[in-house]
Amino acid sequence: MTTSFAPLIHERAASAPGPIPFSRLVRVEWAKATDTRASRWLLALVALSSAALVLAPILAPTSFDQTQATYLGIVAVGLTILLPVVAILLFAGEWSQRSAFTTFTQEPRRLRVLNAKLAVSLLLGCGAAVYGGVVTAVALGLTSASGRSLEADVGVGIAAGYLVFVLLNVLAGVALGVLLQSSATAIAASFALPASLGVVGTASTLVRNWIDMSVWNWVLENDWGGHLPQIAVSILFWVAVPLAAGYARALRRDVA
Amino acid sequence: MITTTALTKRYGDVPAVRDVSLHCEPGTITGFLGANGAGKSTTLKMMVGLVRPDAGRATIDGRPFGELPNPIRVVGTLLDASAMHPGRSGRATLEIAARIAGVPTTRVDHLLDQVGLTDAADKRVGTYSLGMRQRLGIAQALVGEPVALILDEPANGLDPDGIAWMRTLLRSFADHGGTVLLSSHLLHEVQATADHLVVIADGAVVAAGRLDDLLATSTILVRSPEPAALAVALRAAGIEHHAGPDGALTVDVAGGRVTPEVLAGIARDHQVLLTELRASDANELEQLFFSLTSTKAAAEEAAA
Repeated sequence: MTTSFAPLIHERAASAPGPIPFSRLVRVEWAKATDTRASRWLLALVALSSAALVLAPILAPTSFDQTQATYLGIVAVGLTILLPVVAILLFAGEWSQRSAFTTFTQEPRRLRVLNAKLAVSLLLGCGAAVYGGVVTAVALGLTSASGRSLEADVGVGIAAGYLVFVLLNVLAGVALGVLLQSSATAIAASFALPASLGVVGTASTLVRNWIDMSVWNWVLENDWGGHLPQIAVSILFWVAVPLAAGYARALRRDVA
Repeated sequence: MITTTALTKRYGDVPAVRDVSLHCEPGTITGFLGANGAGKSTTLKMMVGLVRPDAGRATIDGRPFGELPNPIRVVGTLLDASAMHPGRSGRATLEIAARIAGVPTTRVDHLLDQVGLTDAADKRVGTYSLGMRQRLGIAQALVGEPVALILDEPANGLDPDGIAWMRTLLRSFADHGGTVLLSSHLLHEVQATADHLVVIADGAVVAAGRLDDLLATSTILVRSPEPAALAVALRAAGIEHHAGPDGALTVDVAGGRVTPEVLAGIARDHQVLLTELRASDANELEQLFFSLTSTKAAAEEAAA
């Protein structure tokens, strides 16, 4: 076993290292989001769940509007069941797996690390949205092969709404992960909070129309008209406020 | 290279670290010795920005850790070997560090070989023993070709072979101009590895200096079948003494003024028989450690 440090220590004096480029942090966080067994299973399940869900309108045509937008919407719902969990793990995992020790000693400017993780979450969201588009196209191909004709209603507006809907769900996961800093708690919250607010929403139109995540269905359906204030409030509630609070907490928190 | 000035941290009303100042020079291994809970880990975490100090500052290579452009190129850290993602392989863990550092990932294979993990490189860290995680942690600390190392209890979980290997590695690192700061709650570990010593108890530095100096005899052990008469004679000569082991007396050398010859002369003048007269031996550091740290630590040291 070699224990020669002579070249290491003397060479280094000549070349003072520069700062870590942000692109490098993003590449590293991308690797961390995709290189563990848990994350690979999760991404596989994300892919599987949207592909499985889209079978429903194919196999039960009478229960669903046979429009392209319906198919795309079902794929989006399939993607967003587990995609927020991927984002949660990317943030909260640093604390739950205690790898923050390593991460924040490799780059002590925590804001850059958090931003790199945010960028990776959005990239994963975009990747998932593209995948969902392909799944939808295949599903539509299958229906037309079976001789069914679908209303061709997917334009730029619907596609954009679909992408924003997927990314909003990812961001809600990011916000919970960075705020709660515990994988188990954040995952539980990501399922329990929307569900319980949904229940509250059945009794309170205020919650149903302004806070409940179903508000984002207007985004998915490209039905922004008259709903912008509600959509904005729900984004504040699910994304902006917890994200800001979570950033503040993660930047200050002692790693122990 | 590594300097802290009056680092202080309180958790609520409990002071964890009080006014800790220390300095580590290139080419040296400094042992940071203290009982569990004495404040070692908190101090090390403040040095690398994981814990925010209430007061004081720490610099590495002249800058606060958080201002080093690419810190792992300057200082390798191993603060908690169990704080690694269990779902990632050892190789992937090192490759991430190599990419952050901007060193070729070919260095990873070299390091895996150096720490003896080549065969386990592609197994998940979750399957590693604590000793293997320590080895991986040391490899991770070395990835960026740093000039300094900060290691918290690096011997934990290593078998005797592993401990000997680590000592050789750290000595070689220091001999080539590197700076090492390592913590331990085991006196013998520090004694065998370090050349400088900082002792911490209840969050405050209680002794610091070169190991040789701290080990150097500052007391003389003198034994007589008539200890009371000897004590009277010493008191008459104005020489401070304390009860030593097994009825012997320990006498402070008082900066070299008191020597075995002086004591022999006093014994002769007072007609007191001496059966033992010698410099106190190396276990003095142990006594120092025992007296400075809690009885709990002493018990642990004895058990270890």
